[in-house]
Amino acid sequence: MSGLLVGGVYGILAVGLSLAFGVMRIINFAHGELVMYGMFAGVVASRMLGIDPLLILPISFLVGALIGVAQYQIVFRHFVGQATLQQLLAAIGCALVLQMIAQLIFGADARTATSIFSGQYIVFGPFFLSKAQIVAFVIAASTTLAVSLLLNATAWGKAVRAVADDVEAAEIVGINSSTVNIGAFALSAGLAGLAGTVLVTYFPVTPVIGFSLMPMIIIACTIGGLGSLGGTFIGGICCGVIQQITAMMWNSALQDVPLYVLLLAFIAWRPTGLFGSRVE
Amino acid sequence: MTVNGAGRPRSTVGVSGEPLWLLGVLAAVAILPALPFINNFIIAAVVRALIFIALGQAWNVVAGIGGLLSLGHGVFLGIGCYTMGILFNHFGLPPWFGVFAGVALACVVAAAMGALTLRVRGVFFALATVSVSLALVQLSRHFVDLTGGADGLSLKFIGNSLWVGQSRTPTPFLYAGLAVVVLYYFATRMILASSFGLTMMAVRDDETAAAAAGVAVFRTKLFGLVLSAGMTAFAAALYMQFYMAIDPEAAFGLSQAIQLQLPSLLGGIGTAIGPVIGGAIMIFMSEVTNWGSTKIGVEGGDILVYGILLLVVVLRAPQGVAGLFKSAIVR
Repeated sequence: MSGLLVGGVYGILAVGLSLAFGVMRIINFAHGELVMYGMFAGVVASRMLGIDPLLILPISFLVGALIGVAQYQIVFRHFVGQATLQQLLAAIGCALVLQMIAQLIFGADARTATSIFSGQYIVFGPFFLSKAQIVAFVIAASTTLAVSLLLNATAWGKAVRAVADDVEAAEIVGINSSTVNIGAFALSAGLAGLAGTVLVTYFPVTPVIGFSLMPMIIIACTIGGLGSLGGTFIGGICCGVIQQITAMMWNSALQDVPLYVLLLAFIAWRPTGLFGSRVE
Repeated sequence: MTVNGAGRPRSTVGVSGEPLWLLGVLAAVAILPALPFINNFIIAAVVRALIFIALGQAWNVVAGIGGLLSLGHGVFLGIGCYTMGILFNHFGLPPWFGVFAGVALACVVAAAMGALTLRVRGVFFALATVSVSLALVQLSRHFVDLTGGADGLSLKFIGNSLWVGQSRTPTPFLYAGLAVVVLYYFATRMILASSFGLTMMAVRDDETAAAAAGVAVFRTKLFGLVLSAGMTAFAAALYMQFYMAIDPEAAFGLSQAIQLQLPSLLGGIGTAIGPVIGGAIMIFMSEVTNWGSTKIGVEGGDILVYGILLLVVVLRAPQGVAGLFKSAIVR
């Protein structure tokens, strides 16, 4: 049960990465760093300004989106459509620079933020649940739903999906693919920022946390299907549930091991994931 | 079908005459300890450069020549170091034998990883390498009895002894490092000129065309990966005997993986000379920034420099220093 809640947050962490890959065929290895800046935004709000981190979610979204746009303009603009060695390396370069900037600003120590829900628990049948995690799950699920609606029910969403399907055809019918790409990347990065602030209400942040979040994000995307948003969210939930089951039945320090096995299995036998259908 | 990266070097056979000036440089390195103004501090820095040149050369084989997106080559460095270290500490097996156990294990792991992930699109291989290396960080932290946990594994120090490959001074490692670097340099040249090297480059440049021409694409990639993993684990012996210790982050962390990639990226990916130039630059830069950041009192300056270098090379000079040099001559 708490695996479900944790998994929902893994889902929202991964949705942005999946979106960027679906539209532009790029893997942003600095996605975890965008999450980290979202987390620090929550820390700044809670510790320095005394505002509940959950109230600044729109600002975290903006922080993530702004860093994302800068990243896109400086780096990823050159790599749209090709997840090559150069693209992946450039993303790692970004990640290192973003990490060290955060370390210079905030220092290397772990920090937490408290929302009104932090540290409160409710008993639900046989389950003992953290309120912060329940709120985080609700926010994660509704945000994923909102983004799906945005992509499926608005004209802009239609343009994004057109570019994702076929850039040239989209250009022919008058869609400016570079504008769409910037927008989609900003959305992807903004989601990371937002997810970070949600996460920091129950999980401490350090400047190097991005790299430890990345495996879970990658696994959620691969299980769910890179490029499929709903699938990625469900992939995240699968990760959370499997983690908790392993922790209960086997060993909590090795809770991630079955996930890595699952990742290799999916790559070997079903690289499109549970819900991805793109054939190349 | 995947699109190949812009500006990836196509002609990769070294410039003729390259070995001559290189031999000059090597000879200069070999007589370093005899010079009056050279101390152990400088020799140790040169040894570090040699170690990362060798490790970079190994990555160059799979990524530069083979075009495989291995972002977690620390897996093989770590396996090499830990295998040797555990065999030595627990069973007293000298590194001269331990290294081959490490190489064998690295090759087996590479073959297993490759068999699972090399049939699908390249990006999944990249994701798998990153995830496996981060998984190994966790595993090596967990099995404290075997690996020493997060604190890492230190070799038992015996003293100056050729039998266990230990020395108080860095000079013996200078010669061992030189030998490995020379061996790897000529091995890479041989691979580049061999039919196997040509096959790997064909797969790198256009997988579909290579398959159409009758190349066994999957087998070529797999063999390239295993070869590179073995080379990495062999050079890991130098790393382990010189540093005398390994910990999860130094073995499998992504920052270490980047140190394995930077030499050939900086120097010129897919060339034999690239990692030699790039490794020297990388260590020089990291020495300077570490010295600088200790002066200012900030930690991790070298990581920031690596990040910036990575971005600059990928965006501005995809063929590295060797590429810049070549285009300057042409002009």
